[in-house]
Amino acid sequence: MKKDDFLIKMVGISKQFGTVQALKNVDFTVKHQEVVGLVGDNGAGKSTLIKVLTGVCPPDSGEIYFEGKKEHIDSPRKARDMGIETVYQHLALIDLMSIARNFFLGREPVRKFAKVVNFLDRKKIDKVAKKSLKEIGIKIRSVDEEVLLLSGGERQAIAIGRAIYFGAKLLVLDEPTAALSIKESHKVLDYVTDARERGLSVIFITHNIYHVYSVADRYTILEHGEKIGDFNKGEVSAEDIIEIVRTGETPARL
Amino acid sequence: MEKRSKFNSSIALLFRTHPEFGALVGLVLVFVVFCFTATRFLSLESLAGIVTVASELGIVAAGITFLMITGEFDLSVGSTFGFSAMILAITANAGIPLWIGFLLALAAASFIGLINGIITVKYKIPSFITTLGTLMFWRGILLAVTGGFAVRYWGTSSFLSGLNGHFLGEFRISSIWFFIVIFSLNIILTKTPYGNSTYATGGNKEAARVLGISVDKVKVINFIICAMLAGLAGCIQFARFNSVDPLRGTGMELEAIAAVVVGGTLMSGGYGNLIGTLFGVLLMGMVRSGLIMSGAPAYWYQAFIGIILILAVITNTKLKGWAIK
Repeated sequence: MKKDDFLIKMVGISKQFGTVQALKNVDFTVKHQEVVGLVGDNGAGKSTLIKVLTGVCPPDSGEIYFEGKKEHIDSPRKARDMGIETVYQHLALIDLMSIARNFFLGREPVRKFAKVVNFLDRKKIDKVAKKSLKEIGIKIRSVDEEVLLLSGGERQAIAIGRAIYFGAKLLVLDEPTAALSIKESHKVLDYVTDARERGLSVIFITHNIYHVYSVADRYTILEHGEKIGDFNKGEVSAEDIIEIVRTGETPARL
Repeated sequence: MEKRSKFNSSIALLFRTHPEFGALVGLVLVFVVFCFTATRFLSLESLAGIVTVASELGIVAAGITFLMITGEFDLSVGSTFGFSAMILAITANAGIPLWIGFLLALAAASFIGLINGIITVKYKIPSFITTLGTLMFWRGILLAVTGGFAVRYWGTSSFLSGLNGHFLGEFRISSIWFFIVIFSLNIILTKTPYGNSTYATGGNKEAARVLGISVDKVKVINFIICAMLAGLAGCIQFARFNSVDPLRGTGMELEAIAAVVVGGTLMSGGYGNLIGTLFGVLLMGMVRSGLIMSGAPAYWYQAFIGIILILAVITNTKLKGWAIK
């Protein structure tokens, strides 16, 4: 099998919820080490497309190729095992749990006790969480603190740090800069650039065209469940993208 | 926001990471008060009485704690408690070996838990409603099958003394079972990946799901654990009285929930532990014995528990509010 240039290739994805056609025959690709901005208005189908990709809700029809191989992604666990890490806006971390526990949630390192019982390897959990967060440049007092004390930016940082630590190949960020201060937004954008430099591909979903414009290599625009545009950096200006999202049409000059 | 001194923030961390802290303070306070008001409160017999009452309630409350941390309720524990005890009593009288009857009782309890869990996750209805329904259903079955009469087992058996015989004078073996249940559940909760999944499921179900945790499975398993423990407690109490009536365990769910909440576990899930529940049931056992020994009529117990419950939750909420500032 020839190794595909694409990390992710989604072909002809359709998804219906009741009478609502959330996605209509959408093609979507992400190359290796590419940052793709997935933009569109509310209800355009951005979130649904991501949910299909990350195994939260399987598509009605269409195919997904990961590193050139056809895959059935039928659960979030499967997506994570393949190397797709998603950071949802409100679902990144569990508020009442400590930073360290959040870091390893669902993939806890264990020590065998009496060869039967799996106990959490607390030492490793604390050490690795501390080290990884320091590496991506976030300062925390203690990894035993609960997440509810952290700012929105810190949460994004922890979730991104977690994805990088677990060797994600694709990082999916759902509105990562929504509800963040200007300073924090810029930090998160830096993490995105940093992640690409480490060899990851990134899908960046957002309303804020200006945020995604600076970091993305390509922009995919959805509208009413259909793809209406796919532009490389430099082909369009941020204003052009806003215009397309607003009118749902590509201006004739493009 | 003013900066907090290092001392203050470590106290705050202590409160946040130790839900049982408030219950411990309450326990000590109540203990000190009764030492003055109740004669012979400090005797070994009195202590044994407290622990005996606390143990049977505590095994039920331990299961409820586990389930409440998962973000769900089980109101049917009282019925499960009576139902299992009745199965053990009826099978014993039918000449079936007691250990087989005991296993049957636990299996029946687990089955009740399984049903509670499946209905709740499959039809996505609040477990409050599911288990309110099964509370009435199993109690009704129990009354219908027995015709409302109590069942007494006249035989003696070493199996029953193993469940709830005496040791060290007035102490009961039930207290040993209670401590084993509390500590093993607490180890599962705080030291294993399954415990992590349980906290995550209760803390934020959707987030846990997208992180790859099978939240429905976790919930159903914890419903089963909760019901099985209620069944175990029922058998243990049967071993104490050698009899069971069809109303056994009525109202137990509320007392157990009160103990769990006093112990600092959040009704909304994701926060709490078994040590708090240990303190909670001891506190309630102490109030029950202490009031009687102080000469107050037994009726006062409920009134007192009501006040303690509300005070405990107010205190826990205030402390937590302060601690996360």
